Amino acid sequence: MSLSKETLEAHLNDPAVLCCRRPAGTVLSAADFEDPTIFPDLVDSNLMTLKEGGLTIQQALGATLVNDGEALTQLTPELLDGVKETPAAEPVDEAEGPEDGVEEPCSCCAGPAAPAAPASDGDVPLHLDRAEGLDLVFPAGGAPVAGTPVPPACAAAPVPSPAEEPAPADKVMRTLVKKDYPVTKVELGDATSYEGGVLTIDESLVEAAKKADPLVKDVEMKIIEPSERHVYSNTIMDVIPIAAKAEGKLGEGVTNVLSGAVFVLTGMDEAGVQVHEFGSCEGYMDEKIRYGRPGCPDEDDIMIRVDVKIQEGTGMERRGPFAAHSAADVIVHACREAIKKLDGVEPVKEETFRDVRRAGRPRVVLVKEIMGQGAMHDNLLVPTEPCGVKGGQKNVDLGNVPVVLSPNEVLDGGIHALACIGPATKEITRHFFREPMVEALQTDEELDLTGVVFIGSPQVNDEKTFVSERLGALIEAMEVDGAIVTTEGFGNNHIDFSENIAAIGSRGVPVVGVTFAAYQGQLVVGNKYMDAMIELNKDPEGFENEILADNTTTPEDADRAILMLKTKMAGIPIEPPEHKWDESVIEANKQLVK
Amino acid sequence: MPTAFKLTTAKGLKSEIYVPWTPKPVWTPLTKPLSECKVAFITSGGIHKKDQTPFNTAGDWSYREIPSDTPSDQLMVTHGGFDNSDINKDVNAMLPIDRLRELVKEGFIGSLVPTFFGFMGGGGNVDKFEHVTGPEIARKLKAEGADIVLATGGCGTCHRSCTLVLRCCEEAGMSTCIIAALPPIARQQGAPRITAPLVPIGSNAGEPNNPTMQMGILKDTLNAMEEFDHFGQMKALPYEYRHNV
Repeated sequence: MSLSKETLEAHLNDPAVLCCRRPAGTVLSAADFEDPTIFPDLVDSNLMTLKEGGLTIQQALGATLVNDGEALTQLTPELLDGVKETPAAEPVDEAEGPEDGVEEPCSCCAGPAAPAAPASDGDVPLHLDRAEGLDLVFPAGGAPVAGTPVPPACAAAPVPSPAEEPAPADKVMRTLVKKDYPVTKVELGDATSYEGGVLTIDESLVEAAKKADPLVKDVEMKIIEPSERHVYSNTIMDVIPIAAKAEGKLGEGVTNVLSGAVFVLTGMDEAGVQVHEFGSCEGYMDEKIRYGRPGCPDEDDIMIRVDVKIQEGTGMERRGPFAAHSAADVIVHACREAIKKLDGVEPVKEETFRDVRRAGRPRVVLVKEIMGQGAMHDNLLVPTEPCGVKGGQKNVDLGNVPVVLSPNEVLDGGIHALACIGPATKEITRHFFREPMVEALQTDEELDLTGVVFIGSPQVNDEKTFVSERLGALIEAMEVDGAIVTTEGFGNNHIDFSENIAAIGSRGVPVVGVTFAAYQGQLVVGNKYMDAMIELNKDPEGFENEILADNTTTPEDADRAILMLKTKMAGIPIEPPEHKWDESVIEANKQLVK
Repeated sequence: MPTAFKLTTAKGLKSEIYVPWTPKPVWTPLTKPLSECKVAFITSGGIHKKDQTPFNTAGDWSYREIPSDTPSDQLMVTHGGFDNSDINKDVNAMLPIDRLRELVKEGFIGSLVPTFFGFMGGGGNVDKFEHVTGPEIARKLKAEGADIVLATGGCGTCHRSCTLVLRCCEEAGMSTCIIAALPPIARQQGAPRITAPLVPIGSNAGEPNNPTMQMGILKDTLNAMEEFDHFGQMKALPYEYRHNV
């Protein structure tokens, strides 16, 4: 791929490689050089090797080939006549610097919000014919002129508020209190109740659950104590907290939550086929769950396993997994009813969540891509009860278009996940109930979180484009200053992921992408807006390791993503990635999070 | 952006995921069985009829119409980007026109479009291929009723030019696949489907005078097209040929 004159400028200090076969006597020009941006791909594919001692494009430009040269030949001094004696490796950035000697504002102030100061104001004329040992100190930015936008913050330096403008007050849109009630024991009995830390579940609910849907063929329930986890299990379809509205609707008021016990939905079909897609986590429960991840049971949780058998062959149709979730919800819902009114019982913990609009702070949005390809790739949005099934709208039926939830709605169980994609990367119902990115953004006083957008990943390519374009229009209307885009899974949904990021980035909005890629999920498509990315992999080999929720977002990942977004919004460059998955990059970034 | 605020930032953050840059996906699903498909073939490897004006090897975005019943000995190559010796031995190494006719005879594919297209993608003008040559070839192939457009690139820049034209065809409602000697370039440029035999540029469709390999590459490519279900997929094909020029 020969270079154009424009791209040549940017690559003068990159290695000179012939793009095509060229005969002896060719005087090299832009059109003869391979585009250095694809070198990593070519090297990775063994189509080319780059050796020490090669010439830069700048050095080879205008020189003459001594012999015929094959495509992808790296140019070295002995292959050419008339090589320029250019000093090696002047950084490209400097070559692109201003030509008129005007001192540029520091790079971190060169964001879109910071147009260069008018020449009459910011010029520092400087002419030196020769200088050695000279130290020059310039102010990092000129004093703002009336009517000139103040550049965004450099590094960690706060931009002082003008004295006459008091900081605008935060506006609390809604408040949610989660009251935690401890469960020390779960037992089966004649009626469902919660008393003195003991959750008793009516055994006959199992029969009721079997009638939840004609596709449900059998239901079994088992209490699994933390000390007895070495039990074999069918693949884990979901982890569902026990939470009920005590006051108000989803996202506000009071939600009673049982801590210390969670429901775990497992399933297979009548023929013995696990209900899963792209990886399955059937096996021993002490080995197949990454305990403590936001989506998973915690170390000390009692698991109430509901195992559902569905009609043969329906595991990969939407109706099959939905039937299994509906069956489990019959039992979970009875537990919700038992904790709706807990007058006189003292919660062990109260957590308050506030949807706050923070005027005067950069407006940001979190975009969460969820599966929407049908089969088990579906989600229920905003059910009536926290993490419930009833009342939820299926994102597949909504056409996967972007739907905005308030942060509190998300954290109050506003997503019941039907998704059964790879176990290690899927975001399940409990994940959303304590979504670390939502929690971190919601409480970040430096940001104004506008909302959480859920967008499905449709099955059909033109639908993918449609929903991404709707996302772009929504972002434009929201007038946000920054965005984080996350996706569960990997594979074809990375097409949506890249399109969603482009829909935002192309509108001039700084955007950070968050996904599992590593080795197995490395991206096959991408675009120039995907220049600030956070890796969710936790597997040492970079694989979808079939351990439940291993490669999903943790609070640490959220902190890195938010720091990267703030840094990008401030106009400070994010360095380009290595050309393959490299754990040390992630470790180094972690060190930068204070 | 508000004008006064504090942001905690860090210098030295590095993006954690490598992203190949590709243009937006274009995709036309293949909905017919191969035996009912009308197939077209295009190549950016500089193939034209001997009685047509040769390409300008310094860069040329024009194209030549090659009737699909042209005897292969009436075809030739004009391309400065790679060694021409394989094509000079057997033009099927770049444009497997004899093999395609055999595929029709066998009933493996339904029929061929009346017109194939040859162009010289080396040093190609991206803008012209994307906005002039590509749409023109796509329009003509669509008018001839093509369901499938197969292609070979030649050199590196050729793979880019070829991919640009294929994307126009895909956009116009035909399912396309490039048989790529340089798959990273095809992938980077956004080829909807890629198959990749281990062949050198200059014999992208297989070893010259090796009809078995050429036929295998074509059949495997067509079969792969039935498997591919979304944009950007690639399949390595188990054929290896090396030539030392």
